[in-house]
Amino acid sequence: MANAQQVVNISTVSQVPSAGLWMDAFRRLRKDRLAILCLAIISTYSLVALLAWLGVIASDYAAIGPDSYAAPSAKHFLGTDIFGRDVLLRTIQGTRIAISIGLVTSIIAIPIGVVLGAVAGYFGSFVDEVVVWFYTTVDSIPDLLKIIALSFVLGRGLFSVYISIGFTTWVGLCRLIRGEFLKHKERDYVHAASALGASHTRRMFVHILPNVFHIVLINFSLRFIIGIKTEVVLSYLGLGVEPGQPSWGVMIDDAKLELARGVWWQLVAATVAMFFLVLSFNIFTDALREALDPKLRNTK
Amino acid sequence: MTDFLRRYFLFTVCLSFSVIVPLGCTKNESSDEFENYVHEPVKANIKGLDPATTGGDLYSAVAMGQIYEGLMQYSYLERPIKPEPSLADGMPVISKDLKTYEFKIKKGVLFHDDPCFRTSNGRGRELTADDFIFSWKRLADPANHSDGFWIFDGKVNGITEWRDAAVKRGAADYAKPIDGFEAVDKYTLKIHLKRPYPQLLYVLTMTPSYVLPHEAVETYGQELQNHPVGTGPYKFRSWTRNARLIYDKNPNYRNELYPSNGETQDKTEGRLDDAGKKLPLNDGVVFTEIIEDQPRFLNFRKGEFDWVEIPKDNFDSSVVNDELTAGFKDQGVVLNKSIDQDVTFDGFNMEDPVVGGAKGKYIRQAMTAAIDTENLIKKFYNGRAVSAQGPVPPSVVGYDPGRKNSLKTYDIGLAKTLLKKAGYPDGIGLPEIVYETPDGTTMRQMSEFFQQEMGRIGIKVRISMNTWPQFVDKIKNRKAQMFGLAWAADYPDAENFFQLFYGPNSSPGPNQSNYNNPEFNKLYDKVAVMADTPERNAIYHKMEDILVEDCPYIYDVHRKSFVLTNGWFKNYKRNLSLLNYVKYYRIDTQAKRKLRKKL
Amino acid sequence: MLSYIIRRVLYVIPVLFGVTLITFVLFNLVGGNPVYQKLGKHGSEAEVRILSHEMGLDLPLAQQYLFFLKQCVTFDFGRSWSTNQQIGEMISNGIGPSLSLTVPAFVTSVLLSIVVSLALMFFRNTAIDRGIVVICLAGISISMLVYIIFFQYFLSYKAGIFPISGYDSGLVSRWRYLLLPGIIWIIVSLGADVLLYRTVMLDEVFQDYVRTARAKGLSEKFVLFKHVLKNAMIPIITNVVLEIPFLYTGSLLLENFFGIPGLGGMTVQALNNSDFPVIKAMTYIGSILYVGFNLISDICYAWVDPRVKLE
Repeated sequence: MANAQQVVNISTVSQVPSAGLWMDAFRRLRKDRLAILCLAIISTYSLVALLAWLGVIASDYAAIGPDSYAAPSAKHFLGTDIFGRDVLLRTIQGTRIAISIGLVTSIIAIPIGVVLGAVAGYFGSFVDEVVVWFYTTVDSIPDLLKIIALSFVLGRGLFSVYISIGFTTWVGLCRLIRGEFLKHKERDYVHAASALGASHTRRMFVHILPNVFHIVLINFSLRFIIGIKTEVVLSYLGLGVEPGQPSWGVMIDDAKLELARGVWWQLVAATVAMFFLVLSFNIFTDALREALDPKLRNTK
Repeated sequence: MTDFLRRYFLFTVCLSFSVIVPLGCTKNESSDEFENYVHEPVKANIKGLDPATTGGDLYSAVAMGQIYEGLMQYSYLERPIKPEPSLADGMPVISKDLKTYEFKIKKGVLFHDDPCFRTSNGRGRELTADDFIFSWKRLADPANHSDGFWIFDGKVNGITEWRDAAVKRGAADYAKPIDGFEAVDKYTLKIHLKRPYPQLLYVLTMTPSYVLPHEAVETYGQELQNHPVGTGPYKFRSWTRNARLIYDKNPNYRNELYPSNGETQDKTEGRLDDAGKKLPLNDGVVFTEIIEDQPRFLNFRKGEFDWVEIPKDNFDSSVVNDELTAGFKDQGVVLNKSIDQDVTFDGFNMEDPVVGGAKGKYIRQAMTAAIDTENLIKKFYNGRAVSAQGPVPPSVVGYDPGRKNSLKTYDIGLAKTLLKKAGYPDGIGLPEIVYETPDGTTMRQMSEFFQQEMGRIGIKVRISMNTWPQFVDKIKNRKAQMFGLAWAADYPDAENFFQLFYGPNSSPGPNQSNYNNPEFNKLYDKVAVMADTPERNAIYHKMEDILVEDCPYIYDVHRKSFVLTNGWFKNYKRNLSLLNYVKYYRIDTQAKRKLRKKL
Repeated sequence: MLSYIIRRVLYVIPVLFGVTLITFVLFNLVGGNPVYQKLGKHGSEAEVRILSHEMGLDLPLAQQYLFFLKQCVTFDFGRSWSTNQQIGEMISNGIGPSLSLTVPAFVTSVLLSIVVSLALMFFRNTAIDRGIVVICLAGISISMLVYIIFFQYFLSYKAGIFPISGYDSGLVSRWRYLLLPGIIWIIVSLGADVLLYRTVMLDEVFQDYVRTARAKGLSEKFVLFKHVLKNAMIPIITNVVLEIPFLYTGSLLLENFFGIPGLGGMTVQALNNSDFPVIKAMTYIGSILYVGFNLISDICYAWVDPRVKLE
């Protein structure tokens, strides 16, 4: 008996997306030159961020200098700020903070969204009701209020920014994952897996999850955009990084006073840096969506 | 495109334009109606207009100062400012023991016409001595949680007892008299004090002492803060909260005239031209609440406001070498300079184990020596400040002009020596110090500056930004290790600055550093009842010596104000303690029309 | 259908309950103690105790929560802690300006987006299509804060076309002040909306029935307008309805910068003042609106689209 069962070809049952879906996606992406360009831009920013984090470059961004508000010159490519700090170095540090926000908030939000969504979609009935109630409740509170309240509890600073953005942006992902799990749990391959004795956990995370993983990937990419733009608003409201740390949001906040003196370089530097990164993410995410699953174009 | 699409698109475009164009072109009709009104910018939101219940913030006080009046007011032109009679008829008669003041009240002063005067069909009633007693009882009424009760608490006979009884009873009994306030007759008011109170005349100029009619309180209750009724030169018209507050001239205002005495520069600068004229000199005032610096300044440049303080970022383009730049001068703009009676500081919590007490003295002194005040003044005040040698600012009674604080010389060597003396050579072993500050871009930049300064001698500072309530909360609960603040004089007497260090005034009182020095406290008790004499000044100097040595605060600067006024705006003269200034302003409407075209 | 509606309506209750719970927990455990803020510079210990008692801050948490719950049910939120005004009045004062800003901007933006998307359908796969898409993507890659700072400086100050800031409660005169913020709102949302609507319409365009219509010889324009637009309207309307609840807060940034005394600005101020009664009122109302419009949207969707299964 056991022998006969073992003979069944596992790969047809498990339906882990075979090389098929990913290879296909990769091929389609490769042909899209614009998307590749964006990916390259994103990678460059990430590299810069990594180097900045390691202290290899821009480590003396906090060095105060004698020339306050100096215009761009050979010595300071992008000019200086009120304390004579080099704007280019500050922009590079801002990159580090931007990329880190995308990464860390993903690490926080994605597991929450995925687990809750999976559990809700898979188990249905009471568990589903509870999860849906929970995320509907969380979602109906205006975002800004949630973030500000959390920053009150956790104090200000980058750490608190990570947590507040992470804990308030998982709902969208959760909804999508839940929807997918609802659909997939009735599929044949899942029934087959269960017949083979796979536990619930195994079925959820080994069998179904890989099939919906592309959603996670797209969400990950989107998250950078949300995180970076939210940080700008938070810095304006005074809830961003600690004073002393430069982020693009802080630079833009400084800029609102500086324009009056004709000092435009901090505003332009931060905006342009942010623009190219966010635009690249936007284009890349779109391309990713198209490549991975044409049907997904409908969902945000 | 389809016909329909084309039509639809055209329709949308036309709709948008038909809405945008005429509305964009709509002239600001309101400005013509308010041509002879003063247009005041307000930097923060006005909280309310009830002298007893609205908190003590400067902006609400200014708003209230035009509607209500007190027994006294400050002299508009004479300096140093001194109290002169407002609703009082002449200066009070003071008893020999300095414990009884007798005021005569001006006859025939009417409250604003208002529906709350039901028996007289809305006509304002005449002011009597009883009205003052009623208004002052409201300060003591625990239900009002009045921020201004301190002006009488512990100083006037029976007032603390009256309040305690109210607390016990659960509600105040307004029928019950207060010993210290006696209405001898309709126009005579006597104040009986527990002990001499040399600042009494000052506090009778302040917002909490303003008089209002009981009819208004009975009619409007809590809504009084949106519907003020007083005796002032203006009456309330409308208030769009957080946007605009409008007052009209009070047609029944008593006969008050523009002063004829002033300083020499008042004569030369034209501020005595209106001497003897009946006040107010304009038709009303429009307060516009604008929190962001840039929009406020830009609106001034367009002629929407009559005056503005120059924000630090616009300074260099406006003022060069203490003179206005040409562009401004062509448009008739005038620069007005004056020294404010305030002090900005970095405070220490004297109860903190690291920086407080005798133990932390050398740390505090070291930090004082490490501050580059000149650079601070340059960066954040555009040079418009003087380095504070102690807590007391210039032009306040008791100021010590000869004082030189040996610590404020920006001497890194000295700072390092002191730090070593404290037991932390080069900052080694000293834990990170937390500096609390309220929110705001400029606040953030200033604390970054402080952080850098301290870094120079090895002290690590972490900046903690807070909303205002959080900030106040931490200080009152003694949880703030260091904090950045300023104190503006309530009245022009150094005692108002010394009370910040008086032991019994510790948090949640105004002594925010919780400084408690028995020697200092004894000296304070002594001067609290002394009138202005050379002996008192000598003691004042000694007290300041102690404060400089112990430095519970790092005294940063006394600020100078550089205010721009538009060419049609006359009689501007600033003093932080003088709040009822709008009635003295005059708008030259001819000049206004001409100059506005140039802007 | 009816049972679906009833079930959905009843579902609102536990959600609102959850909202009050989360709001209370979040804001009651945080923020500064407003007592000190109210007492100003000269408070004493006794005063602090009395005021705390009056504000109900010395009651056990559970009791405070029950009181809050009662307020939510009766819609009586009391008075603001920082300005002492009746909160109901504050909200009714603030709603006018907020809606005056957001509703026209929103409607214009939606209409314009639909028009542009339709046009893009006509020009699909051409350079115009790709170009507009890139412009939209670029538009949403810039923070609203930057738009505000930039336009206010150049259009209001330098060029003098728009007033710099401020507001007039007059019915006609207020629009002068709402123009620039409104335009900024439109610019910022056009990008995202066009992209979304275009996607939705593209989906329809590729459907079988469209091919059939074309095969029948119907003109492209007719097909576009009659079939594609109509079917695309379902998801578009769903999306529009879902965005409506957020109109009432106005846009925080715009109101702040342009000095418009609406609900968004009021909320931010309340947060900065630890004005708990105002914050919870705004949160609660926001949730009701959100949940309510979700409900409407779900019901409309179920009614309009026969394919939707009624669980």
